[in-house]
Amino acid sequence: MTSQAIAEQPMANNSMQQKYSGKPILTMADVRGGYGDADILQGINMQVTEQEIVVIVGPNGAGKSTAMKAIFGLLKVRGGSIVVNGTEIAGWKPNRIVQHGVCYVPQVNNIFREMTIHENLEMGAFLRKGDIYESLERVYTLFPDLKERRNALAGNLSGGQRQMVAMGRALMLNPSLLLLDEPTAGLSPKYMEQIFEITRNLRNAGLSILLVEQHAKQALAFADKGYVLAAGNNRHEGTGQELLADREVAEMFLGG
Amino acid sequence: MPFMEFVNFYLMPGIVLGSIYALGAVGITLVFGILRFAHLAHGDLATFGAFTALGVVTIFGVSPWVALPVAMVVCASLAIGIDKLFYDYLSERPKIIVVMSSLGIALMLRAVVQVVWGVDTETYTRGIVRPDDYWGIRIRDREIYTIIAMFVIVGVLWAFLQKTRWGKAMRAMSDNPDLALLSGVDNRKITMLTWGIVGILCAASGFFLGINTELKPLMGWTMLLPMFAAAILGGVGRAEGAVIGGLIVGIVEETSVLFIPGEYKAALAFAILLLILLVRPTGLLKGKVL
Amino acid sequence: MELIGLLNYVVYMAIFIGIYCLLALGLNIQWGFSGLFNAGIAGFFAVGAYTSALLTAPESGVHLGGFQLPVVVGWIGAMIAAGAIAWPIGKVCLRFRSDYLAIATIGVAEIIRLVVKSEGWMTGGARGVNKIPRPFGDLSYLYSQLAYLALVLAIVLVVYWAIERQISAPWGRMMRGIRDNEDAATAMGKDIKARRLEAFIFGAAVMGFGGALFAHFNRSITPEAIDPMIATFLVWIMLILGGSGNNRGALLGVAVVWIIWSASEFVTDQFPTEFAIKAKYMRVFIIGLLLQLVLRFRPEGILPEPQGTASSPEVKTTQKQEGAAE
Ligand SMILES: Nc1ncnc2c1ncn2[C@@H]1O[C@H](COP(=O)(O)OP(=O)(O)OP(=O)(O)O)[C@@H](O)[C@H]1O
Ligand SMILES: [Mg+2]
Repeated sequence: MTSQAIAEQPMANNSMQQKYSGKPILTMADVRGGYGDADILQGINMQVTEQEIVVIVGPNGAGKSTAMKAIFGLLKVRGGSIVVNGTEIAGWKPNRIVQHGVCYVPQVNNIFREMTIHENLEMGAFLRKGDIYESLERVYTLFPDLKERRNALAGNLSGGQRQMVAMGRALMLNPSLLLLDEPTAGLSPKYMEQIFEITRNLRNAGLSILLVEQHAKQALAFADKGYVLAAGNNRHEGTGQELLADREVAEMFLGG
Repeated sequence: MPFMEFVNFYLMPGIVLGSIYALGAVGITLVFGILRFAHLAHGDLATFGAFTALGVVTIFGVSPWVALPVAMVVCASLAIGIDKLFYDYLSERPKIIVVMSSLGIALMLRAVVQVVWGVDTETYTRGIVRPDDYWGIRIRDREIYTIIAMFVIVGVLWAFLQKTRWGKAMRAMSDNPDLALLSGVDNRKITMLTWGIVGILCAASGFFLGINTELKPLMGWTMLLPMFAAAILGGVGRAEGAVIGGLIVGIVEETSVLFIPGEYKAALAFAILLLILLVRPTGLLKGKVL
Repeated sequence: MELIGLLNYVVYMAIFIGIYCLLALGLNIQWGFSGLFNAGIAGFFAVGAYTSALLTAPESGVHLGGFQLPVVVGWIGAMIAAGAIAWPIGKVCLRFRSDYLAIATIGVAEIIRLVVKSEGWMTGGARGVNKIPRPFGDLSYLYSQLAYLALVLAIVLVVYWAIERQISAPWGRMMRGIRDNEDAATAMGKDIKARRLEAFIFGAAVMGFGGALFAHFNRSITPEAIDPMIATFLVWIMLILGGSGNNRGALLGVAVVWIIWSASEFVTDQFPTEFAIKAKYMRVFIIGLLLQLVLRFRPEGILPEPQGTASSPEVKTTQKQEGAAE
């Protein structure tokens, strides 16, 4: 069975009922907040609808990771609203947000280094009471590399394999929205392609994905929608193709 | 010196003492690894456990071995209570503030022991127990029980950490706390669970020190340094490392009297601590460095 | 007559407060300005006390010495000795978080206690060092006490002034910078390890000085003169209650805590003996509880560190922790 075929089995709990398109999964409206007293995010607006890949690009320090942390309740949100699946989640604790169907793969420190791959995946399913065998098998089929080395310590893996563990952990809860922060940073082109491929397959299987990418051109090429952030503000938005075609965006943010 | 004399007078006492240190060091390493601070009240919590068992023995006239589980339960509840009443309020602050708080708790616990039980030296049972001879190895029953109990308690804990859902969550919290939170692990529950386990371990180490020697209000405080040395020697966050570290520190202390004056036995733990920090701060089993 | 007795008592208390002021100022250098956790204050105190005592005391046949050097030399020796003990400890432990320093300083204090007790040839063992010269010791009792008080207060002022000067100098700004944001300070290329080591040694030397003043005041020093845990802990609660990072807060904290501590002793001494012994431990319990309450409800102390110079040591890691899940 190809990874494509596997991924097309329903991943999201509720993806079956909601076959009509355009239903918003995540809506951020005028979100402000930061780590200390200063606002890093100065009013971010974003929307992810069902079964789409939304790519965030922007220079280093633009606030891309900060926007993801804001969704996940890891910093003080001082204004605006964050609605997921119709519920306002601003101010929720991370474990409640996880239960609400959002999973997050941070940019760094995104695995349990001293635990085996298998245990990393089990931790991903920590909140699930029942049998996790099916989810495990699905993740292992998505990332066959991991299955072979399931008893290896995650900290001993290569960079690409670690990203797979990180994504696999986040997929164990069958989320409806997946936040990926630069999953291809520092990876070889081969691994990058593999991660992008899996990301597309997950989308095709019904998942909504918010993806921060430095490999902007490659990512926008398959994105359903893209946002350009700079200095904590929205700069541009549009479909992936529109942004790629935009001269200003190309010059300023995509390296010409 | 004949080999058997070395075994009987230095090695075996070292292993017994080391087992006691190991029980304490495992608790220290759990707090250090999961809650991420040096718990300075650890020794005095052990003292409290030892005296609680004494209280049970004197009030109900039962054997000390019956009193041990009671002391464990009391100590576990006490540890959870101390966290709820004091440490938990400091959780948003730098960890070193909790270290300071724990120094105060150490003093408070000791004061309670001194008020309730006085300052005299006590024992669980009276009379001298002579060691039995097993093929030339002379050892007392209680010493055998101490060593066995240490391995059983730590073994059960190890299995818990490796095999169960909450045990894995504790390891996850020790490994990468932020990611554990992102995986939906409830910080509070892990903290309470950790304190419960730590209380049990403290009661055990205090009890076994008491049954092998005597009970004094300062007994736990004097164990604090060797227990920390053991935990850091084994590698912070590593339960199995703490056992190895505890045994090494115990054996080194007991055999040291062959080379240096007995008064300075207690200084060896300090020397080991500085040495390991100097040459290999991650410890023997590659633990954390805070 | 009553009045004289009361005056004597007040002066006696004031001298103790002065000595504790030095300890609190020393700790303020280490903790308040630099974020270093020293749990072995009594150890550095004892080293200072014994060093100065041995350098200045007459020959006794019991302990090392008979040097009969001037008292000032004893003080300098006390500071050097305490600093010299701080140096290797700091060298090893300051690379890590302050938890390690806390444990190591507990160990140092313990070993110093062992040495003082066991090395009788040097320290006089349980008998200690006696006949330590006391400045103005020839005056009549009350005048001698008053003169010593003046001396102690003058020294406290000098040390206070020296620290204040050092703290507002670039050195002090750098220290607080390191304390509040280690990453930023490293990025600016500051040699953090060396600066912290300086602060640790400097603070220990001040504590040693405090010990020396104590020894000369008492005219003798024995292993039982101080209860290491309680002395160390009192200094901590003084600094935290007064306001760490603020020298005036430190001094205020010393006065408040010492008065509470002595007054409570005064009260418990009125109890029947059997209860009085237990009451002593109740006092320790209450001091411990006081620390918990201060940490929880007023962590910045009575006189907080002035804002603008820097935030209190509290703030430093919270930001880092938030950032960890990037
Ligand atoms: N934990 C933190 N505490 C304080 N400030 C932070 C923290 N993390 C990030 N910042 C600041 O917030 C701003 C935005 O950072 P953020 O990590 O969101 O950028 P980014 O767009 O993800 O950049 P990159 O492409 O490098 O990952 C930066 O100025 C950064 O210095
Ligand atoms: Mg980022």
